Amino acid sequence: MSDKTTSRNRMRKVVIGAAGLGAAMVVAACGGSVGGGSDAEITTVSKGDAKASGTLVISNWPLYIDENTVSNFEKDTGVKVKYVEDYNDNTGFFGKLRPQLEQGESGGRSIIVPTDWMASRMDGLGYLQHFSVPDDLPNVEANLRDDLKSPAFDPDRAFSVPWQSGMTGLIVRTDLAPDIRSINDLFDPKYKGKVTMLSELRDTVPLVMKADGINPDDATKEDWLKTIDKIESAAASGQIRDFTGNDYAGPMVRGDVVAAIGWSGDAVQLQADNPDIEYRMPTQGCILWSDNMVIPVGAPNPNAALEWINYVYDPEVAADIAEYVNYITPVDGAKEVLAKKDPELANNQLIFPSASYTADCSNQPSLDAADEQEIEQAFERAITG
Amino acid sequence: MSGGRRTLPYLLLFPGLLWLVVFFVIPLVYMGELSLRTGSLTEGFFFNWQFSNYSDVLSDYSQQFLRSFIYAGVATLLALLIAYPLSYAISFRGGKYRNLLLFLVVAPFFTTYLIRTIAWQTILTDQSPLVEFLASIGLTSNGRILDTPASVIAGLTYNFLPFMILPLYTSIDTLDRRLIEAAKDLYASSKTAFLKVTLPLTAPGIVAGTLLTFIPASGDYVNAYFLGGRNQAMIGNVIQSNYLVTSNYPAAAALAFILMLIILLLVVIYIRFAGSEALMGDEASAN
Amino acid sequence: MEAASIHNEGGASPFKRASRAIGDKLLPIFAGLAILYMLIPIVVIAVFSFNDPQGRYNFEWVGFTTEHWTNAFGIPELTSSLVTSLQLAAVATVISAVLGTMIAIALVRYEFYGRKPTNFLIVIPLATPEVVIGAGLLSMFISFSFPLGFVTLLIAHVMFCISFVVVVVRSRLIGFDRSLEEAARDLGATPAQTFRLVTLPLIAPGIIAGSLLAFALSIDDFVISNFNSGTTVTFPLYIFGASQRGIPVEVNVIATILILVALAAMAIVLWQQYRADKMAKVEPEPDPMLEHPRESRKHAVTKQTP
Repeated sequence: MSDKTTSRNRMRKVVIGAAGLGAAMVVAACGGSVGGGSDAEITTVSKGDAKASGTLVISNWPLYIDENTVSNFEKDTGVKVKYVEDYNDNTGFFGKLRPQLEQGESGGRSIIVPTDWMASRMDGLGYLQHFSVPDDLPNVEANLRDDLKSPAFDPDRAFSVPWQSGMTGLIVRTDLAPDIRSINDLFDPKYKGKVTMLSELRDTVPLVMKADGINPDDATKEDWLKTIDKIESAAASGQIRDFTGNDYAGPMVRGDVVAAIGWSGDAVQLQADNPDIEYRMPTQGCILWSDNMVIPVGAPNPNAALEWINYVYDPEVAADIAEYVNYITPVDGAKEVLAKKDPELANNQLIFPSASYTADCSNQPSLDAADEQEIEQAFERAITG
Repeated sequence: MSGGRRTLPYLLLFPGLLWLVVFFVIPLVYMGELSLRTGSLTEGFFFNWQFSNYSDVLSDYSQQFLRSFIYAGVATLLALLIAYPLSYAISFRGGKYRNLLLFLVVAPFFTTYLIRTIAWQTILTDQSPLVEFLASIGLTSNGRILDTPASVIAGLTYNFLPFMILPLYTSIDTLDRRLIEAAKDLYASSKTAFLKVTLPLTAPGIVAGTLLTFIPASGDYVNAYFLGGRNQAMIGNVIQSNYLVTSNYPAAAALAFILMLIILLLVVIYIRFAGSEALMGDEASAN
Repeated sequence: MEAASIHNEGGASPFKRASRAIGDKLLPIFAGLAILYMLIPIVVIAVFSFNDPQGRYNFEWVGFTTEHWTNAFGIPELTSSLVTSLQLAAVATVISAVLGTMIAIALVRYEFYGRKPTNFLIVIPLATPEVVIGAGLLSMFISFSFPLGFVTLLIAHVMFCISFVVVVVRSRLIGFDRSLEEAARDLGATPAQTFRLVTLPLIAPGIIAGSLLAFALSIDDFVISNFNSGTTVTFPLYIFGASQRGIPVEVNVIATILILVALAAMAIVLWQQYRADKMAKVEPEPDPMLEHPRESRKHAVTKQTP
């Protein structure tokens, strides 16, 4: 090849490269805004006069409903229900749905069931529709437990209605670790590499705080970060085997894990897998939370959604659900209904905990918006190996 | 060639290449742009030439980067040590069962990737006879295999073995046996014949196999997720969680970009060192 | 190293003979162990597809039952995810096969500017970790606020399949005997006819092989799909979600079925090959006196791999 051709080739390459770069920058400049929540106004939905009809798509956590409620609802109202159990954890689901919610879409869903803090975050970003409990949800108005009527994140219940409540505490393989009764026992070197904690920041850190005598409701940012440090060292030393979502149960069934921070309702269901699995109330108390039904933006059938929310607050229906799900029902009157059918279940502390049982428990705390990102990222780094 | 035919190749190339440019090259540009944004989920992410994202994620996650390349490297080596003799045996000793054996070797990988990996949870559970045996001879840490680096590396090795076997086997199988015969006729021992004839001639296969194994393995997160727990998180896990869980897009994009650049760098160095052009093959001569 | 000695291979030393015998056996034994190693998880999956767990988790053997086999498609979400995967794979395969074949033909048959960059562009996706490809696509979709779902999945799948199809078809095209095409043209066929009636049927096995590869890759894809599926659920994504709360036994059943299908497909291919070999061997009765052992070896070395 002659020199002239080589330098011409080189020139050509440079020009093409520059053109490519320029084109790339132009293309990139076409990118739109990312994040920031929806700018649209908050919409309010109401029942109106029309009878509920059509199809209702509900996204809920797995194993969170009995076998009959859906078909009963369909029979009683004529609404067809598509019940999908794809809500596996708050952040994961949020991460996947967020881009659509930002555009005012919900992917066809009319009801989703986030935990308190996630419901609060979604509303803050403008992803939820509001409703009026007194006007459209008479059963809720009448039967919602008093202690759930006015939570800090949604004082008027304008956008969330509890589906089930639950306790975060200790799930233990009583045959392999009979003496674990406190969160601090999880730090016992005897059980090194055989315990897990939840990757849910607002469950794990407050529990560890309580075990150290700190009240989560009064905790400062420094308290949070210090507790996160404690957890991080335990993880680094191998004391804590893993930080899990719902999947703490598998290793426990196998016996690889003997104790975990987990959720009360799970323990009862897991007894079918292994009868030695038990929920234990930590000596310093548990964390109480609720999963809430919310109506996202772009919900195709808000009318039917309101109908469903009202329906499940009928004490008879609530009793059916509680009987299967084994979490704490938010509906007054369900206990009495259940007492007639199954008195033992009605006295089960996991479903109808007495005030004394949960005396030391704290509500799941929400973080100040100012501190939230820093604490979340610190925790994320702490639990990632 | 007639004038009309001059446009034909471009017409043939256009749709496919356009797809690749629009859906592979351009997204990388967007990823780069996203990596230079700043902000938060609640307030939105704004473009800000935020190069500090890169230094931030490098300092935060240097351990995971290192870990990823170490795991992938060890897994690639193990895969090579398993695949080479296996391919050699099938090619040289397989006889008429060669294709069947090759298939038997590759068939397991028709089950879904996830299920294969999860099956190892059952096999490597702490209580299993295998693990208890390994523990008794002291080959485990804390008496277990799961949730340790060993199980992640084992998973990576297993899952990427076909990527190593197929190029190796192709290379070994197309070896001209007469060359080995010739070497032996010249009084070379089996060992010499192997080292001086077979190995160098199958070098392109080795290069291709190691690249095809190392590259995907270093970005993998499935094995670390199911077999390693969060203490063995690889950089793929971090990228996945930053994109899909914490929605920290700029950091996630920066991480992915760095991963790509490091791999590119390693590949360039490796190919220069191994000196093989067999990879990209030029067809101009095939016309 | 050993000096070239006449006693090299027929070594008189019993030690050498013994070590060579062991060495001889070592290789097949190693290969056998390796194959066993690769089959272990498959056996576990298949065995546990007959398990009868009482709870959510399928980790310990409880009892034997075939109910999950008879009711393999009884879980609606599982079945619909499988259907989604199949639909996705089918469409993606067709598109990527067409686009990929066109590129392969252009690469092998024609001269054009930009051959090197084209090669580069084809190979680079193969050399990029899936996490980067998936993340890149997601970044672009996010920037455009493009809704994630089946369409974005399709785009992604076609994208990573094209390169594989090109590589497979290209290798088939390179080994192609052009004289057949020349013969067709000598007999008066137009270029279009030649392509349609001679070239295409002859490269069809390559296109089919590439398509099968693309199909398998698409069905099995997890990482790129995880990033770009939004809320659409493919089969691997279903498994991922289910792994959080207990994977139903039906998943094991379907995984085992997939292997059986692959085995059946391979059996068919092998049988076809066997028949083709047999037909190619139609020749006058071989004279055992004339048959030379070396003949079969030469046959093996020059045999075309399909």
